[in-house]
Amino acid sequence: MEYVIVTFPTKRLVYIDDEENGHTNEVLRVDEGTHVFALGNRHNFRPASRTVMVRNTSVLEPLEVPFFHKEE
Amino acid sequence: MSAIRLALVGCLVLVVSCASFRPGNPPLQTYAPDAGYRFERLEAGENSDELLVIVTFSGGGTRAAALAYGVLEALRDTTVEWGGQRKSLLDEVDVISSISGGSFPAAYYALRGRQIFDEFPERFLYRPVQSDLIKLALSPGNWIKLAAPSYGRSDLAASYYDREVFGGGTYADVIARNRRPFVILNATDMTAGSQFPFIQDQFDLMCSDLAGVSLARAAAASSAFPGGLTALTFRNYAGSCGYRQPTWVALAADDHSSRVNPRRTARAEERLSLAATGPARPYVHLTDGGVADNIGLRGPLEAIASTNTPWSVLQMMNRKRIDTLVVLVVNAATEPDTVRDQTPRVPGLVDTLTAAATIPLDNYSFDTVELLRKTMNEFNADARLVDGCNRLSAAKGEACALELPAPHKVDVYPIQVAFEYISSREERRWFKNLPTTFELPSGTVDRLRTVGRRLLSEDPQFQRLLQALDGCLAVGQQC
Repeated sequence: MEYVIVTFPTKRLVYIDDEENGHTNEVLRVDEGTHVFALGNRHNFRPASRTVMVRNTSVLEPLEVPFFHKEE
Repeated sequence: MSAIRLALVGCLVLVVSCASFRPGNPPLQTYAPDAGYRFERLEAGENSDELLVIVTFSGGGTRAAALAYGVLEALRDTTVEWGGQRKSLLDEVDVISSISGGSFPAAYYALRGRQIFDEFPERFLYRPVQSDLIKLALSPGNWIKLAAPSYGRSDLAASYYDREVFGGGTYADVIARNRRPFVILNATDMTAGSQFPFIQDQFDLMCSDLAGVSLARAAAASSAFPGGLTALTFRNYAGSCGYRQPTWVALAADDHSSRVNPRRTARAEERLSLAATGPARPYVHLTDGGVADNIGLRGPLEAIASTNTPWSVLQMMNRKRIDTLVVLVVNAATEPDTVRDQTPRVPGLVDTLTAAATIPLDNYSFDTVELLRKTMNEFNADARLVDGCNRLSAAKGEACALELPAPHKVDVYPIQVAFEYISSREERRWFKNLPTTFELPSGTVDRLRTVGRRLLSEDPQFQRLLQALDGCLAVGQQC
């Protein structure tokens, strides 16, 4: 089991491999391997998605996948 | 005159033998991810996601079917407090994954719901199915059919099950019921060596419509015991319906060279192989589900440990939809007595081949149950670790207090019903020596139903669950 935390200034839906998987700023469980992360709702975030290899994490040290507000 | 008759029969055999293959699975016109037999498409009704109950039924012929049926009866008679009301635990079962003999009660429950308790004993459990199948195979009228190269004994069995057990029921009927549990009958893909679940996600790969498949054919494939029964052939129409693989498949396949999570990569590659256009494999041959996994637990395990499955439990946990996860494994595995070690004689060919075929399966089943225990313990361990760190840091003073974020906490209950857990040595030995057949004496079926109920009630995790949910398993009319 691997652990990630998708960060964003506000609470947003998190999509992992195009499937809804909880919210930003929460520890989420995924299986080891490459996954594509994106946020839901409005598209005012950057980057549009992140493709990340998730491995060697622990519940105390989840992998951070950061997203930011896109400048309008 | 007799020579003419003989010639006519010969011609008939030739015609039938050359007759074209008639698939039992129709093509899917257009890929429709929002239609068909899928977990998320089934109406949950009063069955809450917060309490997610997964049940698996192993293989083992009528022995497995009767044990599974006894457990279904016990679940029906178990009441729990959930969502502010008292309800039967059976009505909270969300998924049933089954193999071989266990697939008969599973499929019947998918088709008829609680009517299983009025109909199934007579239709299957107490019926001399094995004798009926042998009679059919020996009937000269069926020899012509069996002479065809694309028609085997399992096709004959499927038509018998369709007529005598499932009354012509198809997956279209199950979809029309639109009720949980999501019942997954499992066979084994002979070429890929992997589990083949009868769900639309799997049939999408072949551009085939599961709605047009009979439950009898699914149960026959799931229980096509090698040797006694033949594999069943399904048509692969891959490439004809505009199918698109889920996003994770390409990502997992690309992980092949880095050797990260080879299991996920293998699942992706199996999907790509089956869906390869052409199609690369125009026919798929399915044999007994027990060849790939005799307890039906591998699919649920993947759903619990991966976000990349057609009905991911992990995804539901991430979405905080599950608070309590129950996995009930009903395993009718036996361990027949042997006199092998009472003599210095070299074991014979049949004995050796039987041992070679069954020992790896039994070991695999043991490891699968261990993996379930380990996976479910992991959920508890990570929650305990975070809680412990937060508590320790807080004990050092307010300035040191951490508030480490934790994944959504889920209470887990791995429950096992298996002859292994019968406390009396004599009784355990009796059950472990029951044969694998589609015909058992009535008294044996009765005992299997009773022991299923008792083993469930005695399981420590089941008792813990009843305590947590203020539940009770009725004895007679009393609870």
